[in-house]
Amino acid sequence: MKIAVAYKWAPNPQDAAVGADGSVDWSRAKPAVSEYDPVAVEVGRRLADATGAELVGLSVGGPDVASPMAKKAALSRGLDSAVVVADDALAGAGTTPTGRALAALVQRLGDVDLVLTGDSSVDAGAQMVPAVLAGALGWPALTDVVAVSGTAGDLTVERAHAGGSQVLHVTGPVVLAVAADAVVPRVPGMKDILSAGKKPTEEVPLADLAGWQTAPVEVVATAGPELKVRKGQVIDGADPAAAVTALVAALRADGVL
Amino acid sequence: MSEPTAATGPDVEPDFDVIVVGGGIAGCVTAYRLAQAGRSVVLIERGEAPGSKNLSGGVLYSRVLEQVFPDLLTSAPIERRITRNYVQFLNATSSVGIDYQDARLAEPVNAVTVLRARLDAWLAERCEEAGVFLMPGVRVDRVIREGGRVVGVRAGDDELRAHVVVAADGVNSFVAQEAGLREKPPTHHLAVGVKAVVRLDERTVAERFHLVGDEGAAYAIVGDCTLGVGGGGFLYTNRDSLSVGVVLRLDDLVKRGLRSTDVFDHFLGHRFIAPFLEGGEIAEYGSHLVAEGGLEMVGHIHTDGMVVVGDAAGLTLNTGLTVRGMDLAAASGIAAAKGIDEALTSGDTSEAGLAGYRRELFAGFAGKDMETYAKAPAFLERTRMYEEYGLLLGDVLHSVFDHDLTPRRHLSQVVRSELKRSPVRLRDLLSDGLAGVRAL
Amino acid sequence: MSSTYILVAGDARISALVAAAPGATTAVVVGTRAVADAVATSGVGSVVWLGEPGDAPLEAFAGPVADLVAAAAPDVVLASTRPADRVLAGAVAARLGAPVHTMASKVEVHDGAAEVTRAVFGGIARQTLRTAGPVVVVVDGGTLGEGGSAPVEEVAAAPAPTVRVVETRAAERTQVDLGRAQRIVAVGRGLKAQEDVAVVEGLAAVLGAETACSRPLAEGVGWFTKDRYVGVTGQHVQPDLYVALGISGQLQHTVGARAAGTVVAVNTDASCPYFAEADYCVVGDLYAIAGALTDALR
Repeated sequence: MKIAVAYKWAPNPQDAAVGADGSVDWSRAKPAVSEYDPVAVEVGRRLADATGAELVGLSVGGPDVASPMAKKAALSRGLDSAVVVADDALAGAGTTPTGRALAALVQRLGDVDLVLTGDSSVDAGAQMVPAVLAGALGWPALTDVVAVSGTAGDLTVERAHAGGSQVLHVTGPVVLAVAADAVVPRVPGMKDILSAGKKPTEEVPLADLAGWQTAPVEVVATAGPELKVRKGQVIDGADPAAAVTALVAALRADGVL
Repeated sequence: MSEPTAATGPDVEPDFDVIVVGGGIAGCVTAYRLAQAGRSVVLIERGEAPGSKNLSGGVLYSRVLEQVFPDLLTSAPIERRITRNYVQFLNATSSVGIDYQDARLAEPVNAVTVLRARLDAWLAERCEEAGVFLMPGVRVDRVIREGGRVVGVRAGDDELRAHVVVAADGVNSFVAQEAGLREKPPTHHLAVGVKAVVRLDERTVAERFHLVGDEGAAYAIVGDCTLGVGGGGFLYTNRDSLSVGVVLRLDDLVKRGLRSTDVFDHFLGHRFIAPFLEGGEIAEYGSHLVAEGGLEMVGHIHTDGMVVVGDAAGLTLNTGLTVRGMDLAAASGIAAAKGIDEALTSGDTSEAGLAGYRRELFAGFAGKDMETYAKAPAFLERTRMYEEYGLLLGDVLHSVFDHDLTPRRHLSQVVRSELKRSPVRLRDLLSDGLAGVRAL
Repeated sequence: MSSTYILVAGDARISALVAAAPGATTAVVVGTRAVADAVATSGVGSVVWLGEPGDAPLEAFAGPVADLVAAAAPDVVLASTRPADRVLAGAVAARLGAPVHTMASKVEVHDGAAEVTRAVFGGIARQTLRTAGPVVVVVDGGTLGEGGSAPVEEVAAAPAPTVRVVETRAAERTQVDLGRAQRIVAVGRGLKAQEDVAVVEGLAAVLGAETACSRPLAEGVGWFTKDRYVGVTGQHVQPDLYVALGISGQLQHTVGARAAGTVVAVNTDASCPYFAEADYCVVGDLYAIAGALTDALR
């Protein structure tokens, strides 16, 4: 029996440089395992250890997803093995092709009844891939999951719900998007990274996946972010009372206070 | 289990032949060369990816790195080939410069500008291809010593052991200090660098600096750019951006009660600098420590089971006209790899066994240059360099070019009368000139 | 004439979706009849209701919703960013092979092709994207709308039989609606201890403001409830005054507060990114400044 964890190898847009015309320079932004995916891996690791399942990482994206660094970074967080599709056609792919390609990978893997994902990706933050992935598989999806117990086919799932929580019983295959604070993920140590280098990884050619494409999306226009013009007035706070006097005066002058 | 000896290293079977801590130029070159020689090497880098902790870039004197990577100029992410060197004395209202352009600097290529975030990632990739085990995202907490020698490193709960540990972790090398090899450098050997990368489009860069193709310019600036603080300013052209910044002697900065950011802002807003930057967007900004102590900073660079390379070994040179570090880092990496490989072959990785590194380093240009410029830091501490000469030059030229209807005088008379008005005394000029000739 | 399907899962606050929808609108409602009735008076053209959910979670209707929308073949499918709504939208996108657009500001249909203007890469840039075929757009739902009384057609659907709600624990307190707050005092990692939340609350009290936080304070340490987290995957707010205390200004946070009228950022680090997006940048200790500001306004 296998538990799959879908993860993303992506840069943080915070580190990218954006021109006034909206062009994005990613050279300073280094890809990493997306911020909240390690939480999903950790939840999966604990569940796999409790049930004797194999924990398999799945990722689709551009060629760097298959780089030794990307594989080690993912595997060092507690996966047993990884299966990736690394192809230019999937570099920067949108939600739907990504979700569909992951679904095709799950079907190819077989013997999987539980797919875990993180809450959101660091680069897009759309929180949509688990839903598309489940939709493509014809499985239900649950988000904001804070705890999972039992075995696939007989899972008890707790999730955050409208400020409170909800406990669900799941008797079939399911995609669970794990809340960012469900568990505290491990920080991989040197031994974890060393052993990650020896774990099996498989690279699946994109041609082996069917039905992942969507209608082509054409970029008609690009622009910088929609930002209000801010005053950017610096107030030295070394003397807090004086700083506050200046701030309050300015806010009153602006009619904000 | 018996205690390891200084010569043979850890009794336990080590995880690797060599552990390199730090994925900058020195660390990557050391690791790459050793992997090429068939050694098992792990490269530990605290950033999640090599280059991710590295700010902007600079001028790389490229020939030494070409010895390691013959395809450097064609495959590495090089920004521009420097064919134009400009030395500028900056005053509040005047500026005097020496513009040195030379086609010979382009063929063969001597210096290039690089952005380290790109170059370091490229170097790490080459290391990985050569068989180096990359370990990013790991911060080394401790150096493990047994039987009086370094046998490995510790991070969190994990230990890694090797015959030799290479400290390549930068100017304030924690690893070298941990091993007791180097004292924390005194502040007068340290400078603070404030840098920014300003994005412009490729055409604007070429136009503003009169560049053709991938040619580039490097400006070394002294005087009013630092508000008189010991140090200087620089400006380099990248492909579609400028690296611009100041390097300030930490002790002088503190003494004058100035903040590095104030000096930096003054520099960027200077009437003779601002036009270069006009319309640009600041893409990166930050500050870091630079060692500029010259040979004095290079002390102990190897011990039982360990060598220190690059900035960590104090291998930086501020000659007044050029700030060098990257080429020396590469040279120390080459020398260290050779010394370590020989030590591993002979089975003696003690201080004596690793002495080949130091011999190799000082036999090459890097060590020779460090000796050549041994007195440069002390010379550059003479504050007149930063204020008065520029003013003097400006005033002399003003007298020559400002046709104010007074009769012209011979240049020698002008110089003498300006010298009289300037606080610079003739004997200062002689003394500084002599010191400069000796130091540089 | 173009057509838009609006997906609704248990929450009738869809005014922003109705406002953004091009062409004729049909709402597909999963949830109780009361929700379907509320949607019917919020300005949509018609309502399709999938029947009482019983003990099935609303997400279990994703399959039937996808079937229904695929059969109707609309040009645009809209859904709110609320959790169950996203699951419905994802299933529809997977079925249609349609791209999903989030953070969209404009949705148009020209000659059968959908054109969406949206923020990309978490908000660092914008793009206008054209697709020949349907698109799924997921944006903030808005509030309860008013208008018309559309007919409600019941199409009873069978939810996935493998998921059932066993227990629901209601919120211990009412959720705050930061989207409507006029003033907000937000705090980030600069806050040193949980008891210091009182400092923030003290300032918020004299300003008549709601408190808010950056992600780590809600999800990392849990000093704030998640409904007070402002950011790309949290609340998007538009107050007149936004005071950011000890928030460095990572993009993932500032995107959630970009619509604010006036932004005051307080940080010890003069080079923090937030200062590039603030009207007033106070370089100083958040405790000292917040304390002095509270005293000054009391």
